[in-house]
Amino acid sequence: MTTTTGPKDTFLNRLLGRIPLTGWLALAAPVAAVVFAGLVTALVLLVTGNPPVETLTTMVEYGTQPRTMVLTLNSATMYYISAIAVALGFRMNLFNIGVDGQYRLAAILAAAVGGSAVLPGFALTVLVIVVAMAVGAAWAAIAGILKATRGVSEVISTIMLNTIASSIVAYLLVNVVGVRRDNNIGTRPIPEDSWVPGVALVPGTQAKVFGLIFLAIALGIGFHVLLNRTRFGFDLRTTGANREAAIASGVNVKRMVVIAMVISGAVAGLAGMPQLLGASYSYSLDFPAGLGFNGIAIALLGRNNPIGVAIGALLWGFLDNSATILDLQEVPPEIVQIMQGVIVLSVVIGYELAHRYRIAAEQRKVSRELAAPAAVEGAKA
Amino acid sequence: MGEADISSQPVAAPAVELVGITKRFPGVVANRDIHLSVAKGQIHAIVGENGAGKSTLMKILYGMLRPDEGVISVDGTKVSFHSPADAIAAGIGMVHQHFMLADNLTVLENVILGSEPRKNGVAIDFAAARRKIREISDAYGLGVDPDVLVEDLGVGTRQRVEILKVLYRGARILILDEPTAVLVPHEVDELFENLKELVREGLTVIFISHHLDEVLKVADAITVIRRGTTVATVDPGSVTARRLAELMVGSELPSPETRESTVTDVVALSVRGLTVRSPDGRPVVDDVSFDVRKGEVLGIAGVEGNGQAELVEAIMGMRASTGAILLEGQDISHWPTLKRREAGVAFIPEDRHRHGLLLESPLWENRILGHQTKRPNVKGPWIDRAGARRDTQRIVEVYDVRTPGIEVDAAALSGGNQQKLIVGREMSGDPVFLIAAHPTRGVDVGAQAAIWDHLRRARAEGLAVLLISADLDELIGLSDTLKVILRGRLVADVDPASVTPEELGSAMTGAGEAA
Amino acid sequence: MFRNRVSKLAVTGVTGALLMAAAACGGGGDTAAPSPGNTGAGTAAPAAKIKVGLAYDIGGRGDQSFNDAAAAGLDKAKAELGVEAKELEAAPGETEAQKEERLRLLASGGFNPIITVGFAYSNPVKKIAAEFPDTKFAIVDDSAATGPNISNLVFAEEQGSFLVGAAAALKSKSGNVGFVGGVDVPLIHKFEAGFEAGAKAVKPDIKVQKKYLTQAPDFSGFNDPAKGKTAAEGMFDAGADVVYHAAGGSGGGVFEAAKAAGALAIGVDSDQAKTADPSVKDVILTSMLKKVDVAVYDFLKSISDGSVKSGPKVYDLKAGGVDYSTTGGKVDDIKDKLDEYKQKIISGEVTVPTGS
Repeated sequence: MTTTTGPKDTFLNRLLGRIPLTGWLALAAPVAAVVFAGLVTALVLLVTGNPPVETLTTMVEYGTQPRTMVLTLNSATMYYISAIAVALGFRMNLFNIGVDGQYRLAAILAAAVGGSAVLPGFALTVLVIVVAMAVGAAWAAIAGILKATRGVSEVISTIMLNTIASSIVAYLLVNVVGVRRDNNIGTRPIPEDSWVPGVALVPGTQAKVFGLIFLAIALGIGFHVLLNRTRFGFDLRTTGANREAAIASGVNVKRMVVIAMVISGAVAGLAGMPQLLGASYSYSLDFPAGLGFNGIAIALLGRNNPIGVAIGALLWGFLDNSATILDLQEVPPEIVQIMQGVIVLSVVIGYELAHRYRIAAEQRKVSRELAAPAAVEGAKA
Repeated sequence: MGEADISSQPVAAPAVELVGITKRFPGVVANRDIHLSVAKGQIHAIVGENGAGKSTLMKILYGMLRPDEGVISVDGTKVSFHSPADAIAAGIGMVHQHFMLADNLTVLENVILGSEPRKNGVAIDFAAARRKIREISDAYGLGVDPDVLVEDLGVGTRQRVEILKVLYRGARILILDEPTAVLVPHEVDELFENLKELVREGLTVIFISHHLDEVLKVADAITVIRRGTTVATVDPGSVTARRLAELMVGSELPSPETRESTVTDVVALSVRGLTVRSPDGRPVVDDVSFDVRKGEVLGIAGVEGNGQAELVEAIMGMRASTGAILLEGQDISHWPTLKRREAGVAFIPEDRHRHGLLLESPLWENRILGHQTKRPNVKGPWIDRAGARRDTQRIVEVYDVRTPGIEVDAAALSGGNQQKLIVGREMSGDPVFLIAAHPTRGVDVGAQAAIWDHLRRARAEGLAVLLISADLDELIGLSDTLKVILRGRLVADVDPASVTPEELGSAMTGAGEAA
Repeated sequence: MFRNRVSKLAVTGVTGALLMAAAACGGGGDTAAPSPGNTGAGTAAPAAKIKVGLAYDIGGRGDQSFNDAAAAGLDKAKAELGVEAKELEAAPGETEAQKEERLRLLASGGFNPIITVGFAYSNPVKKIAAEFPDTKFAIVDDSAATGPNISNLVFAEEQGSFLVGAAAALKSKSGNVGFVGGVDVPLIHKFEAGFEAGAKAVKPDIKVQKKYLTQAPDFSGFNDPAKGKTAAEGMFDAGADVVYHAAGGSGGGVFEAAKAAGALAIGVDSDQAKTADPSVKDVILTSMLKKVDVAVYDFLKSISDGSVKSGPKVYDLKAGGVDYSTTGGKVDDIKDKLDEYKQKIISGEVTVPTGS
């Protein structure tokens, strides 16, 4: 309460005070979840007859080598972009499950434009990126418009659009933009002067980090600014937090749904760009798949917060890349997938527990306040 | 707490007795020191306005909530319910306002669902169930055929199936939550006949309502609940509707009276032929027309659910409507909500948690809500955090919002302080016209007086106010003009200077015509 | 810059060795003495034991498809040549960089030669082979990755498919046959093209139904018997009486459908009349043999006797890399005709289209 009433600096108040509690819990929940996941993994390792401590130590040792760190950063760059796209939707309670289809469709069309070399040098790079964003946005817009006009759940429509995107990508690859290269088939490679060069961020290795890691960082900053500093972001968060109140406050919720899906799709379109412009230069049969689904897990892990998502993406990248060394050690690399699954599950449960704990703490606090005026008013007939 | 005064206890142990029941929630009115004694074989009504705490009380009685303090006794035995199953075991059954029946099953199947009689422990004994249902139906004159599909039944019959379902499970004490809300008048009469039949057979009925006329017609005893506590138990034979209304809204509360008129002849808002239809095409607001002038408070009186909420949402642009809405002479009926707000329409919503607040956002963000295009909250497309914070601090001080700071979440505030924040927010930015829907509902006495003060001051400064309330004193005291809404139509104009709550009450229920 | 690169290689080499040491402590590979069979064969006198690195595509050992065929070749080499091996498999959705890293770990861990399975390794092999010029590499199903230390083990799947196509046409009474492809990718198009050409060579007006189970990048079509069954059922319902599958693990479903329809099916990769579930063996007319195991074994043998050559080695009919099987005796009556076609293909009289 204000300066006048209420016990102020008691232990209980500090312990149950909302703001420090929120901050502490927000950190404690995921950390506890990762630790818990580590324990479950250790148990699985033990049951399958592998030494848990050595295995995990090897993973960490391998993961901290400069070259592996580069690989981790590169994987994390793509995961991060994908997760930011998912998080944008999540912040207004839109479940964009379709990031996977959006980025693949965007990547193949962008790669085709790049391979056609209609512009020279950097201009082509920019064109490729713009095409990717436009395609991702357009594909996501279908789900947004369906939801706004017909009330179709975006979960259903984006899942279906993923399947449709797969078929379109396969058709385009085989029949339209693809060029056979022995048993592989891919788009014409993007000319070298339009590649995005890697940067030597990690000392001790020649391996380069994707140049587009800076695009990912910029997206994270942009995401934060958009959500927290702009009117649009306020409307978006309001719609997510309380749809009815958003309508009453004058937000055009239907338009917000479409715009949010479009932005989410545009970001999703970028998810494949680091790989396309920084490593493979062509969309072929072995272009990485499943970025979108990893993005969902990472967005959950990072609570849709740009810093949290970054940590989640790095963790995912690390786990993915250190799986290789496990295979070499005769430890089934699937252990990493178990670990990822357990982390997501325990993080979701952890956040839920933290949330309930917070509500309970708040109820106790308010109850104390209600108890005071109760004595004053007690008119009975 | 200690022992309750049980001065008016009947000779036999009461069917249900509540002593000193208290239940607390964050941000809403809690049940506080509830005392209730229901005699066996009676229809006992519990009345109170929405949000007075009736539902909480019923949930406690039915085992869905556990009280923080107090004692519940059934037939003189102290009980402690952990779940509805415990309440059912103690012979208490609940008929919910919204039916819980599966349309594609027969009456028989619906009734036995969850407590199927078994033959040899395996097969469902339909014959026994059918026999029992017939017996119950005949004994209490319910007239229910066990073998019809529920989807073929009317609303009144479905309700009797719900009652039968409860009786089938052995209930001796029935709780009916707002049973008449879904019924048409002749069905209400039938229901009352059924209830009388039930008590003749020795059962006890607890009947929740806010329709005073119905309660007076059917109840053997009436307990009034206001602001979370029981304020009186009266005999319907010796009480008038007026007295009951007074008890419900609390006429001894500080008077909201404003007598010196500030009404100008400049029309701020004009509504012509406004009609809102429900999804099935029925008009819920029917050809409503009125003017609100600058400096005028126009009160709309009416029993809840007669179109007030839809009227408000239509004016706010949140709900499709036909007819004209003019703000300072300009037709705004096709404007989106945002444009209406920008043009100076302010809104204190009926349900602040649903329409007025972001509970898990800090106060200063709640300050922005509904004003996200206006200074000092924004600069162009950017949120002006410093400006919004500064202005929130101002509202906190001017409107006496009791809070440790503007960074706490709205959920941390009590209901009264949340409401003061909303009032402060809606009063800022010089609105032309304010919709105040139940502005003091669920608010403590101190905050209520403060909110009334702010409304009066704004009116004196030329604000036009549309006041919707269930609190008759608030309506009579604050309004310059008073209209009565019934089934979506404005049916009467009353003069707040001369009308009594009794006259207003009967006008609201359509029982008589006032002025 | 050059020195930088060398030192970096040294670093990875050292760390790799350390990791291998750790692996040896934890896992315990079979570091036993060379098997007696090795000296008995007398083909080589290895100074040091050959350590083979084998990198599978997604699915790895046990996929009932070409990964398994490669594993069979490796097992044979283990038994007969006494090599030891480390087997790694690809994860779904991984990037080329991760494949490169897998090969780099193997190369820096002292594994030589390194065999990769599947065209997805094309670019990684090319890159890592350049980084480790003293290590020999082989890649199955790809001829695009070239280099002085890369052997490409490729197959003329269309030639083998031509023969089973001819067999299908000769056995079909309805003049209607089917082809079920696992995933719509160029490699499987070769099977399709050869099959169709073989069938039409026998009966120019024969109807050939075609169906692919999934589209890339969804590779589940190689391991989804239910999809295979549905597709084949559709073909039998539409009048086909022989169906050829090039769908890896999904083929089991094709066999079931054939059994239910009282029709025939043709297997792929290995002699499926021997390997398939006993309950459906009797519907298998023949199988198109793609001898990945032979290719892998041959490559390892050439390493052990020092005769390894870089560049593509095409396993066609002539080289015995593809063929049709005769187990079950269902093609005994048409064997002469099939062998006639075989000779014509070998001699070049008949050219089989590859579908590209």
